[in-house]
Amino acid sequence: MKRKTNLSATFALLPTWLVAVVVFIGTMAWSINLSFTNSTIFPSSTYVGFAQYAKLFSSAKWLASLQNVLIFGVLYVGGCLLLGFLLAAALDRKIRFESAFRTIFLYPYAMSFVVTGLIWQWMLNPTLGIQASVRSLGWESFVLDWVVNRDLAIYALVLAGVWQGAGLVMVIALAGMRGIEAEQWKAARIDGIPVWRIYVSIILPQLGPALAAAGMLLAMGVIKTYDIVVAMTNGGPGNATEVPAKFIMDNLFGRQNLGLATAGATVLVLGVIMIVAPFRYAMHMHSKARGAR
Amino acid sequence: MARLHPNGPKPTQITAGRIGLYVFLLVAVLFFTLPLYTMVVTSLKTMDEIRLGQIFSLPSKLDFSAWTTAWSGACMGTVCVGIRSGFWNSLAITIPSVALSVFVGAVNGYALSLWRPRGASVLFGLLMAGGLIPYQIFLYPMVRAMATVGLYNSLAGIILVHVIFGLPLVTLLFRNYFVSVPEELCKAARVDGAGFWRIFFEIMLPIAVPMVVVVSMLQFTGIWNDFLLGLVFAGRDNLPMTVQLNNIVNTTMGERTYNVNMAATILTALVPLAIYFLSGRWFVRGIAAGAVKG
Amino acid sequence: MKNMMKLFLAGVAFAGFLTTAQAEDKPTIEMLSSWTSGGEAAAINVIKTEFEKRGGVWKDSSIAGFGAADAAFQNRVVAGDPPGAKQGVIGLAAADFVSQGLFNSIDDVAKAGKWADVLPKSILDLISYDGQTYLVPTGAHGESWVFYSKEAFAKAGIAEEPKTWDEFFAGLDKLKAAGLVPVAWGGQPWQQSKVFNMVLLSQVGIDGFLKIYVDKDKSEASVEGVKKTLAILHKLHGYIDDGAAGRNWNDATAMLITAKAGVQFMGDWAKGEFTVAGKEAGKDYGCMIVPESPGMVYIADSFYFPKTGNAETDKAQKLLAEVVMDPAVQVEFSLKKGSVPARSDVDKSKLDACAQKGVELMSAGAIVPDQAIVLTPQQVGALDDFVDEYWNSGSDDTAAAAENFFAIFE
Repeated sequence: MKRKTNLSATFALLPTWLVAVVVFIGTMAWSINLSFTNSTIFPSSTYVGFAQYAKLFSSAKWLASLQNVLIFGVLYVGGCLLLGFLLAAALDRKIRFESAFRTIFLYPYAMSFVVTGLIWQWMLNPTLGIQASVRSLGWESFVLDWVVNRDLAIYALVLAGVWQGAGLVMVIALAGMRGIEAEQWKAARIDGIPVWRIYVSIILPQLGPALAAAGMLLAMGVIKTYDIVVAMTNGGPGNATEVPAKFIMDNLFGRQNLGLATAGATVLVLGVIMIVAPFRYAMHMHSKARGAR
Repeated sequence: MARLHPNGPKPTQITAGRIGLYVFLLVAVLFFTLPLYTMVVTSLKTMDEIRLGQIFSLPSKLDFSAWTTAWSGACMGTVCVGIRSGFWNSLAITIPSVALSVFVGAVNGYALSLWRPRGASVLFGLLMAGGLIPYQIFLYPMVRAMATVGLYNSLAGIILVHVIFGLPLVTLLFRNYFVSVPEELCKAARVDGAGFWRIFFEIMLPIAVPMVVVVSMLQFTGIWNDFLLGLVFAGRDNLPMTVQLNNIVNTTMGERTYNVNMAATILTALVPLAIYFLSGRWFVRGIAAGAVKG
Repeated sequence: MKNMMKLFLAGVAFAGFLTTAQAEDKPTIEMLSSWTSGGEAAAINVIKTEFEKRGGVWKDSSIAGFGAADAAFQNRVVAGDPPGAKQGVIGLAAADFVSQGLFNSIDDVAKAGKWADVLPKSILDLISYDGQTYLVPTGAHGESWVFYSKEAFAKAGIAEEPKTWDEFFAGLDKLKAAGLVPVAWGGQPWQQSKVFNMVLLSQVGIDGFLKIYVDKDKSEASVEGVKKTLAILHKLHGYIDDGAAGRNWNDATAMLITAKAGVQFMGDWAKGEFTVAGKEAGKDYGCMIVPESPGMVYIADSFYFPKTGNAETDKAQKLLAEVVMDPAVQVEFSLKKGSVPARSDVDKSKLDACAQKGVELMSAGAIVPDQAIVLTPQQVGALDDFVDEYWNSGSDDTAAAAENFFAIFE
């Protein structure tokens, strides 16, 4: 059906083209342009070359935020995939009350990041939450102070994020497991392969595409990470949980530093393109190969 | 298609592995329910009881006053009307936004995967890149653009913004779904003389119902839970519940009223929660029917 | 289906227009503020009540949090749809808006009300740009206060207000020994910067403080002062509780109200929280200027009046400016907010013991400006980053940190 260019199809995509060009490309062009100016609260047309970029990369906060989003992204996506897969595998073992379990694991996905952040901030706050409760039961030296500990705060974010997102992966993985032929199971059992090996070596590879899609869904949220940080730690203690989206937001408004904010945005977008472009290219080649089949 | 029943051998007897399995599940249940449990019990306590600092203990006496306060009496600045007005605003924003974005996304996915007009893959790549960029960058120019077309601070404006920012995700999901539809189906219909729209409404939309369910639920939670876009684009008469929640949680009268805050938080999360509790089955089915594939 | 979509879109657009079109025959003002805590809300309510009494219509658009409120405001200015009034601090943050011609001048109100005669010159200068008055001051805040719970002090056996830092730390030790949280610390960057400034003032004095912040002086005396300040901050870190990180100031105040903690470093708006909780200054809680400090850091709140292009709103803005400057309103507002009236000719007998101290210092000129008054928003941000980083690093390398401090002016 390719190449028989259909006017209706082109026409149907027009609004999306409009959005993509005007909103996505237009905004990027605007941001890139401003990142070379000395704009403070309002756009200015005094160009300062790469000065904003130099400032950006000499800012400890920005560098910390890049590192944090990387750590958070890897652990959050990885954690969701791992826990989601484990939960799915457990539920796949002919469990009683399966749908009740499924609902319990999935419900946090309905919660916003703001709410997720608020709850976990309460739970992990040492003077209000789990630590205080355990101590009042008599275990005086019990410590669970992740949100206020500089070295652990980022893991508190990961914990809350995984709590929220693992259920989605579980649903996707479980659907994939149910799609696996009974024949494969029989064959594997006849060969005497232990159950856990079946999941790791036979089922996991077949779930690859589904898990990749789930990972993609989660990854789309990572670079945008903002709400959960503001609700839980507001970037602190120190720079421990500072993230790029928050850095940009702070400079865009409170600090009235449009030039620096747009420079940060530009760097972020370049990063995204460098990650996504090879991936897209590979998918493109893959689908071409499939088409030639 | 995929079945909804487990594979593998029937469990024969109680083994160590089986016990381990249930232990793992119970620990997981604890991890997943503890936060919600804490919120619910805290919202039912009086402040006197909360001050004792036992956040996990059951309330000694059920006290629903925090709930009524949160719904209709909690203060945001000088106005003390609770979050109920935000509830209706959130509905007015979310329902049209979901309907529109699902429709546009379905058309996009269908056109991109089964028709592939010139530039389709470029457009798709642009959308994906757009989907990864933080919203914050769009705020400033979008505000200007919306003001120019007279939609800033209006219900129509915030709906349009949600549709635009939902496009990447929605299009991705529908495209992946329609890619797995056999091309022959489409070809045969064309031979019969059906056009783009007829094929869409009469063949593709009906077979995409599971996907429509999944995308609607994802979009519903996403839009309902949005804070930033609502704050910036909705205008003071249309502020969604999340913005009011933030106001309530940060409005204190000498002491932080945790019970009211928790009740307000649960109220804000109630609609998406109810949707997942009531229609979680369809969500799972939609995904099992191939909604999310590589 | 297509027609339904069209109908639906039209409906959505129509609903949008309906909400924007409203009959406005009375002077109507939309107030965008971030004053949502108990004392703040009670204070702005004083203005609202008087404004309504004089025939105005008040539309409240409160948004909790400076950042969120500022973002909403800036976006509305960019969109050409600003609110009629915005609450904000006096300082360089407003300067860009004024120079871009986005704010209305209220000079005729100021002239008619003879503001020049009743406002301290320092405040008058700060609300005027090129000889025109643009902002109306709601009140001034002393920022270098130490509040303490009398109940906690009694428990710990502290009889007198400490006069020196040594006595102060001895007191903190006693509080610790009594099983209380010595310092109710608000672990947010802006609060930490304020503590840094009040300690700095106690170490370098008024002239030294102005030299550093206004002249950006980096002489040996200035560097020494910063180093001593950092050393005190480092020591203070040993007296806070585990939950301090990210804590709101009003939550910290609540720790004093419930006598869980001993002292809090905060601006006098904390008194608003005590008042709402029914606590009295001098009886339930005490207030003192930071030990060894020769004066007070101050900041002033004001309302901004954006140009809306609506003549009715312009009228409402002028009415609001008159209301804010009304002597009775100034006093009543200050009582609720915990501030000091901006007007110097009002009846001070109603003010509490703390506010009276503040008025004394102010009229004696023993005051230095907050960083928001003398630094650009970018520099204020850099200062926040600096203090936050030092505070959380746990380092006591004051020499290296002092170098970083002076880098914020670059």
